[in-house]
Amino acid sequence: MRRRVFARLVLAVTAVCILFPMTVLLVWSVTGRWPWPLLAPENYSLRTIRELFHGSASLPRLLLSSCMLASTVAVLGTFVGILTARSTELYNFHGRELARRCALLPMLIPGTVFAVGIQITLLRIGLADTAAGVVLVHLVVAVPYCITIMADMTRAVGTAYEEEAMVLGAGPLRAFFSVTLPRLVPGILSSLSMGFILSYSQYFTTLIVGGGRIKTLALVLIPYIQSGDRALSSVYSVAFVGSALLVFSVFEFLLRQTRLDSR
Amino acid sequence: MLLFPFVLILTLVAASCCSVLAQSFGYIPAFGLTKITLSYYIDVMTNPDFLRSLGISLRIAGCSAVLSAILGTLVCAALVRRRGTTALYLIRVPILVPHAVAAVFMITLFSQTGLFARLAYTLGWISDSCQFPQLLYTSGYGGAILAYLWKEIPFVAYFVLALMSGVSETLGEAAENLGASPLRSFFLITLPLSMSAICKAFLIIFIFAFGSYELPMLLGVTYPKALPVQAYLAYTAPELRSRPAAMAMYGLILVVSVLLSALFNAAVRRLSHGTGGAA
Repeated sequence: MRRRVFARLVLAVTAVCILFPMTVLLVWSVTGRWPWPLLAPENYSLRTIRELFHGSASLPRLLLSSCMLASTVAVLGTFVGILTARSTELYNFHGRELARRCALLPMLIPGTVFAVGIQITLLRIGLADTAAGVVLVHLVVAVPYCITIMADMTRAVGTAYEEEAMVLGAGPLRAFFSVTLPRLVPGILSSLSMGFILSYSQYFTTLIVGGGRIKTLALVLIPYIQSGDRALSSVYSVAFVGSALLVFSVFEFLLRQTRLDSR
Repeated sequence: MLLFPFVLILTLVAASCCSVLAQSFGYIPAFGLTKITLSYYIDVMTNPDFLRSLGISLRIAGCSAVLSAILGTLVCAALVRRRGTTALYLIRVPILVPHAVAAVFMITLFSQTGLFARLAYTLGWISDSCQFPQLLYTSGYGGAILAYLWKEIPFVAYFVLALMSGVSETLGEAAENLGASPLRSFFLITLPLSMSAICKAFLIIFIFAFGSYELPMLLGVTYPKALPVQAYLAYTAPELRSRPAAMAMYGLILVVSVLLSALFNAAVRRLSHGTGGAA
């Protein structure tokens, strides 16, 4: 089967391209000295790791603040996603098509433009340089993705079971919470993980709206890269990617559990 | 009722766009500027630096989006009809990795003292680090494009996968059962029917790469700068006049993004009507 061989080859090349830079990153993160033109570091050192905990921006605090911001964005984004998807997928109303199209609109407006534009409004309502302002701006970035995910899920679940529950005497709220919501869980988990990741990796929006007061991992990483210290930028990158992967794996694990349960 | 939070978010987006446009026409009461004028746009657009920046950004966005769409579709085609989940997990990893980290990858691998340059030296292909072709920090912005490709090729593959597997497992297989070669069935059936998702992914990447700041800032040169980097520089400049000029640049980024996506969507719609595809 030539087709199989070709597909395998493409996937093997893809896997190498994805994993190789990450491996090099791991090596760099514990490198002491790695002068040109050596192919491997001259010596290894834990200076970078110590720096992570004692430097000006200590990792645990950064992780905590980044994770709290990202979790808030994920929860709010998913909430908006559930509501919006429900109204555009299940109800007929004037402007439904328009609402569906608008859902993707924030994706087509560059985040850089949005961040500098919203700054004046945020100043006026007193949210500039605050965590709430940053959450709001990250939310705008995340919501289109949450809506897309929830819309697919809502369409797949439909209203048949909910209607059945109502015929059997459940109120509309109870029907939604005890029948439809549990069926939406796979979508909710994907939407949460997407919202988290999007907020977690925001740089420019946090820089503008947070005004340097709100420190996240992304915000601290960039100056290290600019300074040209490869070992330090690598160790922060490893922390960044590692924590993102951890969160992602937790959601994937939960997702698999719910799939197993529903079988 | 249910739409309320979403409408609130749309209002924020609209407010932000209006604010950018108002400031770009010279209306910034906080700075004592209230005269509406087009002069900032005229200044910006007649500035050769701006035109070069615009060119650079279009180039970065165009190269990243076209190559990601093509290669991403290829990877997606390789993933279709696979049962294992390992490849599916792996393909999602670059989506989780922030752009800044992709920049670190490029620096450690492709810079003139990066791993590939060291490899070339060890193999005797070059005798000095500056003989290694410079990809980063050049006006071609090859480093930024490569970093986008690393992130976006898997994004396209993942984004298109759901639609393509659906088509391939039904209509594609039907075509093969009727005697079409796998290649023919892919190009005549699966690919055209997956086009709507591929085009959407293309547009998302184009707009993102056109308007984003980190990668061209981290991997670019001082001159010519990419448009968002140039605009941010003007935004943070201390002179009073540079604020509306910065906003005019952001306004142009906005206008170009919106116009291009409208044009692109119109073109896609016309094409899909032309071939009778169900896009």
